[in-house]
Amino acid sequence: MPKVTFITAEKTTVEVSDSSGNLMEIALENNITGIGGDCGGVCSCSTCHVYVRKDWIERVGLPDSVEKDTLEFNSHYQPNSRLGCQVEMSDDLDGLVVEVAPAE
Amino acid sequence: MNSHDDPFREAREKGPILAATFQNETIPMILRLKDIRKAAKDPETFSSDAPRRVPIPSEEDVRTVRQYPLEVDPPVHAAYRKIVEPFFLRPKQPEVLAKIHALIDSLIDKSLAGGPIEVVQDFAIPLQSHALTYMLNVSESEAEHWIGWGIHVFKDGDGKSKGPFMESYCRQMFEAAAENPGDDFFSALNQAELEGRLLTMEEKLGFANIAFAGGRDTIIHTVTRIISYFADNPKALECLHENPSMVNSAAEEFFRVFMPLTHIGRICPHATDVHGFEVKPQGRVSLCWSSANRDPEVFDEPNEVKLDRRPNPHISFGFGAHNCLGAHHARAITRGLIQKLSERVSGIEVLENVELLEEEADYTRKVGYELLRSTFTAR
Repeated sequence: MPKVTFITAEKTTVEVSDSSGNLMEIALENNITGIGGDCGGVCSCSTCHVYVRKDWIERVGLPDSVEKDTLEFNSHYQPNSRLGCQVEMSDDLDGLVVEVAPAE
Repeated sequence: MNSHDDPFREAREKGPILAATFQNETIPMILRLKDIRKAAKDPETFSSDAPRRVPIPSEEDVRTVRQYPLEVDPPVHAAYRKIVEPFFLRPKQPEVLAKIHALIDSLIDKSLAGGPIEVVQDFAIPLQSHALTYMLNVSESEAEHWIGWGIHVFKDGDGKSKGPFMESYCRQMFEAAAENPGDDFFSALNQAELEGRLLTMEEKLGFANIAFAGGRDTIIHTVTRIISYFADNPKALECLHENPSMVNSAAEEFFRVFMPLTHIGRICPHATDVHGFEVKPQGRVSLCWSSANRDPEVFDEPNEVKLDRRPNPHISFGFGAHNCLGAHHARAITRGLIQKLSERVSGIEVLENVELLEEEADYTRKVGYELLRSTFTAR
């Protein structure tokens, strides 16, 4: 099962083995500081904003237009920003590392 | 779909704004989602530093205080917001959420006890008022005072604003809390410091004003519209009963389509071209959330209610620094309501209703109900 590593804004590292679901759900199940998931994963609130490590961007993929529109006005938007609720974990992403973006 | 559900459709198809008149002031209403997000992120051009003029129509005649943190700009806005944020996060605590669920259960018990109920007075207003006591951490008996303030503190059905009464009540609560401090909202504001000083009474009243007025009609209308929707669409209630994991996405979809707050204003400190409309210094613009939530550029079949709609990037809780402080509270109530109704109620029949319409010179929009007499059937 795939492993994902979250690095919080306070630089705490949390590794989650046997992860399933999307990054927001995984973060909430594991009490990752800084991930709110307020809207329940419908791409509305941006409280699951993460930065994908640059060497993973190609495999994770870029946001679609709806997600990008939600993200791009975020004060902490970067080219490697994603909403955790839109990234589904899979075996292809085993070893993924993401950083939790600062709160808006 | 009734045209009163989306009165901005025609204007939105023609262009990015609707120039609408309120109280002899012509205000460009920004209608499309992306344009609104952009404006909401630009407080230097579109400012909230305008006491009693951020809501449209303005509230200069119905309250005396500036609402905090709504009517201040960044960066000081963040310091004001931080003071009250712990109370607005309380609905995320399991013990507070459990109280909200127990409250909803007790209201459903009464609704199933036999005979029709009037959903606005007997369900939605008590639900909003009692739940607010949990958020503000005050005695639940206070809710009995608030229930009498009606659907909207400033625009109650009897035509008399309860604004002065609410301000007087809040002043008394701050004074009582100073005598007997506790862990409640009023005591916390009495003790709060901003930039090394205590808050003034005007500031404390401004915080309380929006805590009571801001989340009142909005939650009441959301509750009545969801109940009315289930009456008209019994299959939706059945679908949620069979698929409880859809509760959260259903709640977000109801927030999108039943957005109770049509819009909110911003002030342009300087002359500003708003999509071809020249706003004079200190003139206002409207961020029309309810129109944005029906923007066909963003939402497929925007007038269809899709309980599992994903993505659903609605902006019913605003956008940017001023996003709604009460969103956690609204979500806790709404998700709890949908969950409990789908678990316990098999059908709702509306016997009589009176729609509450927001009637302005340039549009009429349905926001909720003044009356919704209904019967509930147990599952």
